[in-house]
Amino acid sequence: MYYVAKVNSEMCSTFKCNMCTLYCPEANTLMYDKENKTSWVDEDRCKGCAICVYVCSDLLNRDCIEMAMVTPDE
Amino acid sequence: MSLRYMVPASKFKRYLPKDYVELVDYGPFGKDYSEVGVKNMGTFKELVEEHPMCSGCWMAYYIKIIFAALPNPENTVTIGTAGCGRLAISQAAVPFIYGNYGDQNAMASGITRAFRLRFPDIQKDVITIAGDGGMMDIGFSMTMHAWFRRERFTTIMLDNEVYGNTGGQESGMSIEGAVLKMSPKGKNFGKMPAMQLAITAGCVYVVKMSPTNINKAAKAIRRAIFAARKLGPTFIHVYTSCNIEYSIPTPDVFRDAKEMEKGRFAFEEFMTPEAKELFAVVESKKKREVS
Repeated sequence: MYYVAKVNSEMCSTFKCNMCTLYCPEANTLMYDKENKTSWVDEDRCKGCAICVYVCSDLLNRDCIEMAMVTPDE
Repeated sequence: MSLRYMVPASKFKRYLPKDYVELVDYGPFGKDYSEVGVKNMGTFKELVEEHPMCSGCWMAYYIKIIFAALPNPENTVTIGTAGCGRLAISQAAVPFIYGNYGDQNAMASGITRAFRLRFPDIQKDVITIAGDGGMMDIGFSMTMHAWFRRERFTTIMLDNEVYGNTGGQESGMSIEGAVLKMSPKGKNFGKMPAMQLAITAGCVYVVKMSPTNINKAAKAIRRAIFAARKLGPTFIHVYTSCNIEYSIPTPDVFRDAKEMEKGRFAFEEFMTPEAKELFAVVESKKKREVS
């Protein structure tokens, strides 16, 4: 089990911002899908620091990202 | 100068490592800076690959900005030394040279001179990226003498105010009274004035900042590289917190960087009149022409 960020794509696509992708410290992890206008997380690379949650919830009040425990099978 | 030097023969593509092929297909090579610059981070494959730095490391974040902001990544060489930073810098698709502890600026002096002799018609950028220990404690004499000799390359100091890689000893850049795991009584003397030292030693462009605004950070990096090509040494002193040794919870790392920006890492920029003229010329042109 490990801790990763999960993006709520439906909510995220309504804002069309890519602020969280600019502040993720890991390369190629929190990516932006231009077609669907939503951020998405490469869960194998995410280290679970939750800086994206701080950006989305505390700075922007948009609450589109939350942290979740996942097992490798999922 | 072509940006397409990375394209493999199509028949070999299926045998090449996946990371390499992805870099060719989705990476920044061959694309305009307006498509792949720091503003579009997350929409292209970055030059830095997966690295073993800690979760929520602000130094890893700044290294990511450095590589996204490079004006000319195919003609850039990075030089590093022992410390946390090299763990990520060495994982990028840009040539990296690693020497003994603290000699990064001495090596860069030789490498820039050799590049000017070997490639007189190509502009090669040399950047030294090291921590506060490598730059201001152990490599202090080599850093200062490279500046005194007016060697033309960029020096970036990733200041986390502690020896983070070896368990938390105080460094010359720790603040007075800092209590750390390996300095339990607190530090007895103050933080070294790196920015003033760089200005006195003859750097033509010096910045001190905490990377909270990505465009501002990228602009400083690009300016430092442009000034180093023509005028002389440039120096960026950047705050990259160590969330392990200073016990900052990872979700608060960005908040801590913003607090630092209001405190001792307030944005300061120094440039000589020649550098100011150069930036006026460079920044009035289109991004592609200058890179």
